Amino acid sequence: MRSERLEKLLVGGGALLAFLSFWQAAVSLGLVDPLFVSSPARIWLAGRSLLDDPDFWRDVRVSANEFVTGYLAAIALAIPLGLIVGWYRRAQYLLGPFIDSLNAVPRVTFLPIIVVWFGIGLWSKFAVVFLGAIIPIIIATQAGVRASEARFLRVARSFGASQRKIFSSIVLPGTVPFIFTGLKYAAGRALLGVVVGELYASAAGLGHMIAEAGNTFQTDTLFFGVLLFTATGLVTTGLLDLVEQRFERWRPQPAATQ
Amino acid sequence: MTRAHPIVRLYLAHERAILGLAALLAVLIVWEGLGRGWWADLLSPLLGRSAEALRLKPIFVSSPSAVAAAAWSLFVTTGRIWPHLAASGLELALGLGLALLVGVPLGLVCGRYRLISHAVAPFVSALNATPQVALLPLVVLWIGTGLAARVFIIFLLAVLPLFINAHAAVRTTDPRLLTVARSFAASEAFLFRSIIVPSATPFLLAGLRLAIGRGMIGIVVGELTGAAIGVGFMINRAGATFETDVVFVGVFTIVAAGLLLTDLVRRIEAAVGVWRAPIEGA
Repeated sequence: MRSERLEKLLVGGGALLAFLSFWQAAVSLGLVDPLFVSSPARIWLAGRSLLDDPDFWRDVRVSANEFVTGYLAAIALAIPLGLIVGWYRRAQYLLGPFIDSLNAVPRVTFLPIIVVWFGIGLWSKFAVVFLGAIIPIIIATQAGVRASEARFLRVARSFGASQRKIFSSIVLPGTVPFIFTGLKYAAGRALLGVVVGELYASAAGLGHMIAEAGNTFQTDTLFFGVLLFTATGLVTTGLLDLVEQRFERWRPQPAATQ
Repeated sequence: MTRAHPIVRLYLAHERAILGLAALLAVLIVWEGLGRGWWADLLSPLLGRSAEALRLKPIFVSSPSAVAAAAWSLFVTTGRIWPHLAASGLELALGLGLALLVGVPLGLVCGRYRLISHAVAPFVSALNATPQVALLPLVVLWIGTGLAARVFIIFLLAVLPLFINAHAAVRTTDPRLLTVARSFAASEAFLFRSIIVPSATPFLLAGLRLAIGRGMIGIVVGELTGAAIGVGFMINRAGATFETDVVFVGVFTIVAAGLLLTDLVRRIEAAVGVWRAPIEGA
């Protein structure tokens, strides 16, 4: 098992390194025009100079604000809603059709309407991020409630546990892994919302920076911006994994019981 | 169960449909009322002038009746939407086709050969963590704003779920089947053709369903820049000119197309899954 992980690291790292050197070599040897493909060294330099640029930090703040606010608002509403829809059959009957049909389509499709309603400022991005993130969390939370271990429920009922007790001691802890799955998926959707919202219509933010860099052939800046989004995606997922481990620490380890 | 009134029994038997329809109807009525100022008129004795806040401009919210009228005109009387639909359909078909051609074989090969999988892994996880639409300006820089760029964006969005599912599918192939085939000296090509691909099919179809949803994003986002035709373009233009009813028709069309296509795949999944049952039972 250990050796396979080492192999994965070596082969993966090697492939990445080979790709980067090939890219750099192709540009350095003049085989391709850096105007179109940039190069690792150029991206590094562009990143360095951007870090000293106050406009860049303004873009970062704007995008971060959109992402965090929209995502947190979605979490705050989606988890209770998911629990309600999962727990009460009639709530599911009432809201299910809306949730399911919103789930069936990417919410960025609503962007043109959202822009008509909220303008091209921060609010339209909040709305797009919020809409993108809320549905996966509701769906996952609801699925978590549904998937409550039937044996536990039966035991609790036979001992006369109240509905409230069942909910707080069995259903709620059981939903945690599901909620985290939803949160991770939703983070990707939220990030997508930031990018599309800013590409579509905005005057600030990293998506706007990328679009502008593309229009003015600043390929290095463009790549750096895309990499920032990649890093954000990786970091968010990593953080959520950490929080999930913290929440799941009480759970008996399956490895220990085997 | 005690004997309930027939109406109550009827309600209980169809509770799901009744409540769902009621909620839908309520939303439509509230929406229509906002567009026509019903609620402002109704509540003005109570709230006075502040009730006017509930009278929204039709260019803002449109209304179900206006959307229905616009849909009728776009689909039937003028038929203006059909060229847009055809253009977007072509983009989607080409983009998904390309994603299938690249993602599925690559995923199958990566699932089968560990070294290739390790080599590809960093690129896949990087692309997976990136919102792929952020690459749109780069795509435009490389291949312009024509059909090729839109197809490529749809491809970028759709290829990952197909790759990931194909990869996972190979991993879950029953190892006993592979061992048996190999003990009878089956070639790699035979293994792929007769064992891996058939057992991967449900996963591939599930991936295709995800890919279709991603492709819908591609249609809307890809047609943001430089397109002159397509449903996404129609939505964008209508949004810019405040034809809100047309925007809604476009959005609902994409919703309907997405639902229809995923439902189609689900049907294929059900049909393909039929042969599987006896094996499970054995």
